[in-house]
Amino acid sequence: MSIEIEAFTRVEGNGGAEVIIENGEVKDVKVKIFEGPRFFELLTLGRHYWDVPDLEARICAICYLSHSVASVLGIERAFGVKVPEEIMLLRELGLLGELIESHALHLYLLVAPDLFGYADAIRMASKHGEIVKEGLALKAFGNYLREVIGGREIHGINVKPGGFGRYPTIEELERMERQSEALLKLARRAVGIFAGQEYLGAKAEHYVAVNGYLYGDGLIADDGEHFDYFKCIEEKTLPYSFAKQSRYKGDVFMVGALPRVILKYEMLTPMARHLYEEYKEKLAQGYVSLNNLAQAIELVYALERTKEIARALLDKGFEGENVPIEPKEGEGIGYVEAPRGVLVHHYKIDEKGNIAYSNIITPTAFNHAIMELSLYEEAKKRYGSSDEMTFLQKLEETVRAFDPCISCSVHVVRL
Amino acid sequence: MMLKLGVFELTDCGGCALNILFLYEKLFDLLEFYEIKEFHMASSIKEHDTLDVAIVTGTVSTQRDLNLLHYARNHSNYLIALGTCATHGDVQASVEGKIREKLEKVYGTRANPMKALDSTPIVQHVAVDYALPGCPYDKDEIYQVLMNLAKGVEPPTKDYPVCVECKLNEYECVLIKRGIPCLGPITLGGCNAVCIKSQLGCIGCRGPLPKEANPASEFEILKELGYDEEYIRRKFKTFARGELRW
Repeated sequence: MSIEIEAFTRVEGNGGAEVIIENGEVKDVKVKIFEGPRFFELLTLGRHYWDVPDLEARICAICYLSHSVASVLGIERAFGVKVPEEIMLLRELGLLGELIESHALHLYLLVAPDLFGYADAIRMASKHGEIVKEGLALKAFGNYLREVIGGREIHGINVKPGGFGRYPTIEELERMERQSEALLKLARRAVGIFAGQEYLGAKAEHYVAVNGYLYGDGLIADDGEHFDYFKCIEEKTLPYSFAKQSRYKGDVFMVGALPRVILKYEMLTPMARHLYEEYKEKLAQGYVSLNNLAQAIELVYALERTKEIARALLDKGFEGENVPIEPKEGEGIGYVEAPRGVLVHHYKIDEKGNIAYSNIITPTAFNHAIMELSLYEEAKKRYGSSDEMTFLQKLEETVRAFDPCISCSVHVVRL
Repeated sequence: MMLKLGVFELTDCGGCALNILFLYEKLFDLLEFYEIKEFHMASSIKEHDTLDVAIVTGTVSTQRDLNLLHYARNHSNYLIALGTCATHGDVQASVEGKIREKLEKVYGTRANPMKALDSTPIVQHVAVDYALPGCPYDKDEIYQVLMNLAKGVEPPTKDYPVCVECKLNEYECVLIKRGIPCLGPITLGGCNAVCIKSQLGCIGCRGPLPKEANPASEFEILKELGYDEEYIRRKFKTFARGELRW
């Protein structure tokens, strides 16, 4: 027999799970991604590089800037273009905004109702209005950063190869500095709220992240390896899912906030690092639900870092000029940490500047295998000892901890 | 009397549903009039009920999408196709080739156990009561539409190009002044010319302007600016498949 989770709720995109029971025991769990395929790599083939980041942004709304920036980084590397530090800092501001917007959405609107026992944040707001409002305030600030840097809250086209369409004004940077400071206390409170969440799912045994905190030029893993994604990661297709599954050197691994804070704690800002130290032993347990606590610590990081960058740009000033690009044949990979983990955009471009090859791997696809393992572990632990309602609820909570972005996961292709 | 509202997501990027949450406090204003019966991104509640208003986002890209769309249509009095996926097909509908060939290229097999279909807009499958395009749409627009419906007023539709809002904002014309390929003249307005604010050309995300658009003339302008025909053709059909003819 089998138990079906028809559709995960309070997650982005369409997916479900099947728990297979044999002789009164959980035999297997299948995570089914049934969001339709959108064939992004086919879409971008033959398109001029200038238009490609705008198309790729549409892979996902929650993390459109991660896609734009990863795409731009891949294209710039293919052409051997280097942009000045100020442009990278401005891009980072956008990515920080996205992290804030996405983590606030996930923690306050999607996960918090589980902690407080409600079906959604709207119903939760009647009793815990303050918390919901705090989440919305954080989210709105994250979106403000996305709007200024990206050109629009969702699917803006301002991030371009070589620079930007429009650069932020002094007033906008001052507002970023001011507001990030003001919101820090809310983020600190979030750490307290989410530290109490119970342990769910599998214990992650391997972590993979980008070498820089939010962007970089390669991947790192818990075993000290520094590598390009195609070297140690293998993908395979499944008959029951539009998303592929990946293994790191043959093993199941995790990407996301938990791997980031554990692998890169040295890069954290002072207050975030202090909070990391406080919860270090807990985080080291590796249960996938600890991803939520790690996200709360990252909210603190993102606000501190936003303030730091805005101040640095205000102090030293910036040119606001794009680097000119001459198309030529080349190959490049963009590595970015989307809020939910490692995102890879890999392109080959022809001498006219048109895309000849494209491969995109998204965090939910990287996490697909450990998500399945986590549901299996959780189901095995609970089957027979919880009533069916609780059983299904806990499985959903386990999936939710990954903050899966299902629409993203289905474009995973190797051409 | 509270109106019963359902939000159904077919295949898309999640942005159209997300944009409803980005209404922030205004969302709570809407909840004075609407009771949410289905909105899987935001709530675990799922009540199989007849709806006063159903919002459907995304394209029909699987058999499951098609079934869900028919369910939403059959259980609602007023159906809104929300976002360019729903109204025109958006980027995924512009991918060329037949579904089995695409599956083979991507997954290495022509087998289709999950019943994927070539992506099509929902307006091609069912009658809709209101179509609001945009990738994403302007969130204040859906707020106004839902407020109008709550007050029993049929919401108005827009019929002017992006250029109108561009002029109202006094932005410099990027097409004429800077030679940037801007689809503003042939694209339906309503976005407040947001991309021209960034001094970039309109990429046409709200789909073609109905009736008076002149794509042939836009095509000629871009050709004179030195863009090759294939480039222009692909740009024209990015969000609305083959709807623009010239």
